[in-house]
Amino acid sequence: MSSERQKLLRRLQAARFALVEINLYLDSHPTCSEGLKYFRTKSEEVKKLTAEYQEKYGPITAADSKADGYWDWVAQAFPWERGES
Amino acid sequence: MWKYEKTLEYPVNIKNPNPALAKVILAQLGGPDGEMGAASRYLSQRYTMPCRQVQGILTDIGTEELAHAEIVSAIIYQLTRNLTPKQIAESGFDAYYVNHTTGIYPADANGVGFTADYIQSTGDPIADLHEDLAAEQKARLSYDNILRLADDPDVRDPIKFLREREIVHFQRFGEGLRMTTDQLDAKNFYAFNPAFDKK
Repeated sequence: MSSERQKLLRRLQAARFALVEINLYLDSHPTCSEGLKYFRTKSEEVKKLTAEYQEKYGPITAADSKADGYWDWVAQAFPWERGES
Repeated sequence: MWKYEKTLEYPVNIKNPNPALAKVILAQLGGPDGEMGAASRYLSQRYTMPCRQVQGILTDIGTEELAHAEIVSAIIYQLTRNLTPKQIAESGFDAYYVNHTTGIYPADANGVGFTADYIQSTGDPIADLHEDLAAEQKARLSYDNILRLADDPDVRDPIKFLREREIVHFQRFGEGLRMTTDQLDAKNFYAFNPAFDKK
């Protein structure tokens, strides 16, 4: 994986993790206005970074495949390979 | 309904194979306090929880545990790359290797296969949530024990992440238990089972 790709992937993983964490927090604090605001900010960030990553490096979910000429979902390595996460 | 995301929740990139360490870490895939058990436990218990917030906590933590099973599997997979028969024999990985080669099989560190006997789903929200709190502590201490045995920073880093998540999940389950008891008879939480008895 190129260092440029890894840099973008790290930002995406960090934003996705923040979303996982705030999701769990909001399950037990559903009216916390600060938490709700944090969720909205992170949700936007994840959408933007996911779109950028998928445009450059291929789909993160099968449903986001372009399916244009070939099945791009299986064109990139799966993340358990060394250097692919 | 679930969707797979083609990225680990936390990165795993291990330079040096170490089959002896892989054998120890197997405990957290298919052992009694491992991630397979955690996911099956929470995703089974959620149906009969009496309030939506707690159903949400069990669904979302159960889902995250599936991602943790993937991280533990990736660690074992990368620790057992390119092994020679000599390395396998000398590391103590031979007993696992003879049945599974370097495939990922949900077993504990002694090779005992995963079983649903490790988990409960009692249909009693208070009992289930107490089991979940204990499960998070047992997983946390298992990761502490792994950290005492692991020197490689490439391995310690994702293990530390997994350990930290057990502490966060423990916190969320504590809040889930409080939300459950808040809806019960304050003088006697056990007066009735909110998932079974009609009030």
